[in-house]
Amino acid sequence: MFTTPVLDYNLLAPILIVLGGALLGVLVEGFVARVYRARIQIIIALLTVAVALGWVIKIRALTSQAAAIDSVSTDGFGLFTQGSILALSFVALLFFTQNDHFAPQASALPGSIEESEAAESGVQMTEIYPLVLFAISGMLLFPVAHDLVTLFVALEVLSIPLYIITGLARRRRLLSQEAALKYFLLGAYSSAFFLFGGAFLYGFSGSLSLGVIRTAASNPASNHIFLLLGVLLVSVGLLFKVGAVPFHSWTPDVYQGAPTPVTGFMAACTKVAAFGAMFRIFIVGFGAVQNDWRPVFVAIAIVTMVGGAVAAISQRDVKRTLAYSSITHAGFLLAGVISLSKIGLTAMMFYLVAYGFATIGAFGIVTLVRDSTGEVNDLNRWAGLAKKSPGVATAFSLFLLSFGGIPLTAGFIAKFSIFTAAYASGNTSIVVVGVISSAIALFFYLRVVLIMFFKEPTDETVTVAVPSFLVGTGITICFVITLVLGVYPNLLFNLANTMTTLQP
Amino acid sequence: MSFLVATIVLPLLGVLALAFAPRDNTRLIKLIALGTSVLTLIASLLMLTKYKFGVSGLQLVSSHSWFKYFNINFAIGIDGLALVLILLTTVLVPIVVVGGWNEAEGGRWSVKTFYMLILVLETFMVGVFAATDVFLFYVIFEAMLVPVYFLIGGYGRGDRAAAALKFLLYSLFGGLLMLAAVIAVFIISARQGVASFDVTALSHVKIGHTAQDWLFLGFFIAFAIKAPLFPFHTWLPSAAKSATPGTSILVLGVLDKVGTYGMIRFCLTLFPEATKTFAPYIIVLSLLSIIYGAFLAIGQKDLNSLIAFTSISHFGFIVLGIFALTSQGITGASLYMVNHGFSTAALFLVGGWMIERRKSTQIEDFGGLQRITPVMAWLFFIAGMSALALPGLSSFVSEFLVLLGTFTRYPAAAVIGTLGIILAALYVLLLVQRSLHGPLKEGNEGTHDLVLREKIAIAPVILALVLLGFYPKPAIHTINPMTSQVLSQVQVSDPSPLAGK
Amino acid sequence: MRTSSHLVLLIALPLFSAGLLLLLGRIADKWGHLLATLVSASTFGIGVAEFIAMHSHTGANRAATQKIFEWISVGSFKVDASLLLDQLSICFVLLITGVGTLIHIYSIAYMDHDKDRRRFFAYLNLFIAAMLLLVLGDSYLNLYVGWEGVGLASYLLIGFWNQNPAYAVAAKKAFVANRVGDVGLSLAIMISFAQFGSVSFAGVKAGASHASPAALTAIGAMLLLAAAGKSAQFPLQSWLGDAMAGPTPVSALIHAATMVTAGVYLITRSNFIFDASSTARIMVVTVGTITLLFGAIVGTAKDDIKKALAASTMSQIGYMILATGLGPVGYAFAIMHLLTHGFFKAGMFLGAGSVMHGMDDEVNMRKYGGLAKFMPITAVTFGLGYLAILGVPPFAGFYSKDKIIETAFNQGGGKGIILGGAALLGAAITAFYMTRVVVLTFAGAKRWKDGAHPHESSVLMWGPMVVLAVGSIASGFLLSMGSSLVNWLQPVVNASHATGGDELMKPLVVSLLALGVVLLGAGFAITKYRSVPDVAPENVSVFTKIARKDLYQDDFNDAVLVKPGTTLTAGLVATDHNVIDGAVRLVGWVIAEVSDVLRKIQNGYVRTYALTMFAGVLIGAVILWVVTA
Repeated sequence: MFTTPVLDYNLLAPILIVLGGALLGVLVEGFVARVYRARIQIIIALLTVAVALGWVIKIRALTSQAAAIDSVSTDGFGLFTQGSILALSFVALLFFTQNDHFAPQASALPGSIEESEAAESGVQMTEIYPLVLFAISGMLLFPVAHDLVTLFVALEVLSIPLYIITGLARRRRLLSQEAALKYFLLGAYSSAFFLFGGAFLYGFSGSLSLGVIRTAASNPASNHIFLLLGVLLVSVGLLFKVGAVPFHSWTPDVYQGAPTPVTGFMAACTKVAAFGAMFRIFIVGFGAVQNDWRPVFVAIAIVTMVGGAVAAISQRDVKRTLAYSSITHAGFLLAGVISLSKIGLTAMMFYLVAYGFATIGAFGIVTLVRDSTGEVNDLNRWAGLAKKSPGVATAFSLFLLSFGGIPLTAGFIAKFSIFTAAYASGNTSIVVVGVISSAIALFFYLRVVLIMFFKEPTDETVTVAVPSFLVGTGITICFVITLVLGVYPNLLFNLANTMTTLQP
Repeated sequence: MSFLVATIVLPLLGVLALAFAPRDNTRLIKLIALGTSVLTLIASLLMLTKYKFGVSGLQLVSSHSWFKYFNINFAIGIDGLALVLILLTTVLVPIVVVGGWNEAEGGRWSVKTFYMLILVLETFMVGVFAATDVFLFYVIFEAMLVPVYFLIGGYGRGDRAAAALKFLLYSLFGGLLMLAAVIAVFIISARQGVASFDVTALSHVKIGHTAQDWLFLGFFIAFAIKAPLFPFHTWLPSAAKSATPGTSILVLGVLDKVGTYGMIRFCLTLFPEATKTFAPYIIVLSLLSIIYGAFLAIGQKDLNSLIAFTSISHFGFIVLGIFALTSQGITGASLYMVNHGFSTAALFLVGGWMIERRKSTQIEDFGGLQRITPVMAWLFFIAGMSALALPGLSSFVSEFLVLLGTFTRYPAAAVIGTLGIILAALYVLLLVQRSLHGPLKEGNEGTHDLVLREKIAIAPVILALVLLGFYPKPAIHTINPMTSQVLSQVQVSDPSPLAGK
Repeated sequence: MRTSSHLVLLIALPLFSAGLLLLLGRIADKWGHLLATLVSASTFGIGVAEFIAMHSHTGANRAATQKIFEWISVGSFKVDASLLLDQLSICFVLLITGVGTLIHIYSIAYMDHDKDRRRFFAYLNLFIAAMLLLVLGDSYLNLYVGWEGVGLASYLLIGFWNQNPAYAVAAKKAFVANRVGDVGLSLAIMISFAQFGSVSFAGVKAGASHASPAALTAIGAMLLLAAAGKSAQFPLQSWLGDAMAGPTPVSALIHAATMVTAGVYLITRSNFIFDASSTARIMVVTVGTITLLFGAIVGTAKDDIKKALAASTMSQIGYMILATGLGPVGYAFAIMHLLTHGFFKAGMFLGAGSVMHGMDDEVNMRKYGGLAKFMPITAVTFGLGYLAILGVPPFAGFYSKDKIIETAFNQGGGKGIILGGAALLGAAITAFYMTRVVVLTFAGAKRWKDGAHPHESSVLMWGPMVVLAVGSIASGFLLSMGSSLVNWLQPVVNASHATGGDELMKPLVVSLLALGVVLLGAGFAITKYRSVPDVAPENVSVFTKIARKDLYQDDFNDAVLVKPGTTLTAGLVATDHNVIDGAVRLVGWVIAEVSDVLRKIQNGYVRTYALTMFAGVLIGAVILWVVTA
């Protein structure tokens, strides 16, 4: 007996809007003269995201399972995650607008005549904007997907565009393309794990819907081997995306190789989407057997926190340092997942936003520190940056202090609340390790501050570019949010707390 | 708005004013800073009109919700201990401004930034003593490190950047341990339906033995690093070596007191059982600090690190007094915090002036100053005398009370502690002899004696040392109620005389 | 007990003038010394007035108290800043202010040439204030304040010429040695509080009867340690000789007449402790006996006139300490000897100062000789003091010292023999070295270079010497006539239940014995020093060598305390850097190394990354298996 699928467009609107924007962007590439494209694409992208965000706010109170049959669930948690993804994307996009980050013509061989010609003719790859929008649409779907197929589709939709734009850096193109290839290969590899896991789960429960899997899992009589294998393999796909040890290896290379604005975008938004999806799957789908998989996650969280922090110490490249820092934060965020509690959820949501804005801001500032050949990522050449540009140095320090969890920054509130959640759920070991790894992490955050403020400038060729209006706005937004959430966390925290509803 | 709030807020207004002051008019900037700190001092003195002496418990309390979800409040209030320490702070800041009038000139950044940092620090310092919400306390406890970090790294001498980083990492590490403990305390209180960070509410929460032990350590190590107590002290000498005199005065005189203050306010009142469990071990540590610090002070060649090590020895006495858990011990220790604040201030002020004139921190470079700069020499001598706790100067009363209070419970510990008295005589007199006595060392010829500004700066310090030495009653009277309250919370009472009548 | 309202003046006045002179600085140079002397004289006046007032009362009302303010009050620990003037303290008040004033006057001339004379007088007044607080405080803690106060004054005065490194060191040595004693006092106070819940003399006295012998002995031992530090008794005696670095009037006042006798005051004041503990008394007499011989022996070999006198002071105080250990009656004799000694020793020091004044500050007696005819007054006054210290009747020492020797013998048994014999031996040696001093200085042929022009000092200087000389003649007789002092001190030290003991010898016998040995010693000295080389001969007996080296006291301290201390310090400094801080650095280093390894693992090869991921999956599977199984 076949029932026609019912689609609630009101609830799907945010995703559809972004997809629409992306398609529009593709059309623009086709029909608008080169000279206008960049400007138009920027406007389209920003508008799309803004409208989608507005729509999310409009439907914030709704909860439903019927958005698209049973495969997309609309609830407070989903909408909050979508909202934060859109808000972060909006700010992240502001940093794309500097036209000199992306290869003028990605198809041209690095160092070839075509490339230099393209460069001289001032053309640029405006395709990145639709690509980013496609990625965003995937991210929006990921945390609300309620069955494994939708999850997989969302995963690929958000991943593939990222693989591409990772390879579009204007400078050090070989590095960039290598990164893209690695990202693609390992991404495919992890997707395979995900699929494999999905198969096991289907074999276990005879369904791909999380709801059905839950009911099956909560039946103790059933044979749990398939279930647990499924859980393990599915989580590999997700842990890969959030960059948890030992599935993190791609992170430093990709973060370093990708164009810096893209890195910021990836680091912030992908994490939100992936953690959103992870939390939903593990509560809604696998909650019944949490005692079986929690130890694995505790172990992963611990190695992630410590590994990231320790590895970061020896880094000399600012982007790689931030990459390892993001790994450490993935570890902290896992603490939220493991707690599997309302407060854990709230804390994680707050953490994602706080971390996201600080990350985007930090990478945004990385785009400003340059010499004649482009960005300067070697930390030693950042010496005495505070002398050259106190403002930028101060902003960057604030983001670092937030990463380090120093009071009066958003990062502190985030860390405090997620530790509280972990402790409340009885995972004391996480708190202890978390504290220690924070201490280690502090060392390299503070070392950067020290380099910027207390070292004499060694390299006069390094300058701080005057940010364009949009970029300036972006940094300011991140700065203000990081500070305000640190001093007065109520705003976001209460909101997050009210939006912890999860569709079963 | 109570005077307490005013005392906290005023420095920030000063910072605002400084922000709009012209960068190059250093004179104006200094005057603004001075004016602000003096106003703050006045505000803090006005608190005395509202404060009820001889009454235990918190006064001048006010509370505003801050972080609802965790029931965190911007809650402040003071008892006798907090009061005297706040007054110490507000008295020292203007002295630092006047005494170190030119110390910001050589800095990496502008004079303006220096005084903005100083005033921000003052707000934090007053706030940290006033905070009655554990979370608020923790936030300030951590946040106040940042201005100090920049004060040391930006305006100090020598390997200042490294010293600043060392200081920050040490303190932050301790802070993180404390954070874990703070969280745990909150959760435990929540499980008992209290769910609060209010220190008074938490003191009623029942905490299991093992939990108490761990949480106690979480807090204690943080405070021991701050204090600093052997063996967590190594950040202090390098910091003192690099920091400007003013910064050193604020760090050793006030900031480090947060550690010993925290021990009384949190370790004792929140974890009475654990306190009793660990007291003997901590007493051993404090004795080590006393002796060790004294010996290292004797061995120093650098004037500033010598003063730093004397402080380590003195902090040993303070901790000894606290964990003797007798009224004389705790009152003595509290009084010691104030007195040590003044006597270190005196040492660093005069020492700073000597260094400023001689352009060297090496003790061996001085010598024979008594002959050419009698006033400076005399003041340095008096500061030294208060460091060795000469009767008639304030530090004697507190040091004796500490030893007496310790003796009634741990006679052996007190006996060992008295060794510190002898060693103190050695490190002070050796310093005095090398720097002030003997024939005039070359390089000191042109040294001129103190100018009026410097005399004005040090006068109140010396006055405090002498007054509190002869007539400590007001301070003791203010502190006593706190002591008896803490002791009742820990549920111990003073040992009674052995020779029964 | 009556209350008096102006005891505080005794301390306040000199303290105030000291502060004033120091604060005003050079402005006060013109008249500073006059003010100081005036203040000192006025304190003497007050003292006399109080003395008379005491006579106008009887019984308990003789003693007077004055509460100034509440000083410290924490829990059950309450100490007021209040004063107690009783029969014991008045003796000291008069001695301190009286001799003090004389020495102020003397110093006006003696320090005339010094541009820092004002500062010197400020210190003198500071000392007077502190010393009066010491003897007037009504509790051990108040006493302690004065106790350290006089230590400070002594430090400042010994180091008055501290531009001379040796003098600065001497000052430091004195302070540190005293600190060791002070620790004893502070511990005694702590024990008292722990035992009796009080640190006032009255409180401790009341409690003493209930306390355990062990506690009493401990308190006694600690008090003795304190006394040893302040009164240069064995084993803390080494600082006194070096203390002669101070200007001579200081040596006379502080290091002969008053401060160094504080130990005797402390023990006498604490008679209720020592009466109750025989063990403590044994310690006291032992220390006293050792010191009186120690000092005497050292005195025989000193060529520096001041150091010779210093050694003699040490030895004489040894007598007093010995006396205080001889039970109730001993206290009175100790105080009596203390007072007479105050006169004749101060007098002789001033004499020595006068000699130095005339000899361009030459202190080596071998460079003197035949000075009697150049400075007759000095010679006569010094001579009278000399007779007094020898104990030749009817001079002061005869009454006080013979009483001590007698009491020592009267301890009875072997103890009596030993103590009495030692005291007697001491007397003989005293006679020897004092005669030696007199002979070397005033008699014989002149040995000084022609450059020197010995001359008598001004009246400001010999005036006080004469007064003290009179004291050296009369004081002993007055104090012992009808055993006036013993009766006077009776309420404080209650010597009444002092059994005279089984008299070993009649007083007369003792006196004759003493006189005999004295003559022996003196005669030996006279014959030995008929001719004196003006440089110390090297081919001397081993005993002389030992004596010259102060019985190796400094070598001992260096070997046992100073050297190990310096090594320990150096070791700890190294430890702090390498071990303690090293541990912290090690942690950092380890993390950095691990981090480096991780960096190498991150080799950039996709295959490696894929492999690590797969390994991760396997490990995860294992954990799952372990958990579920």
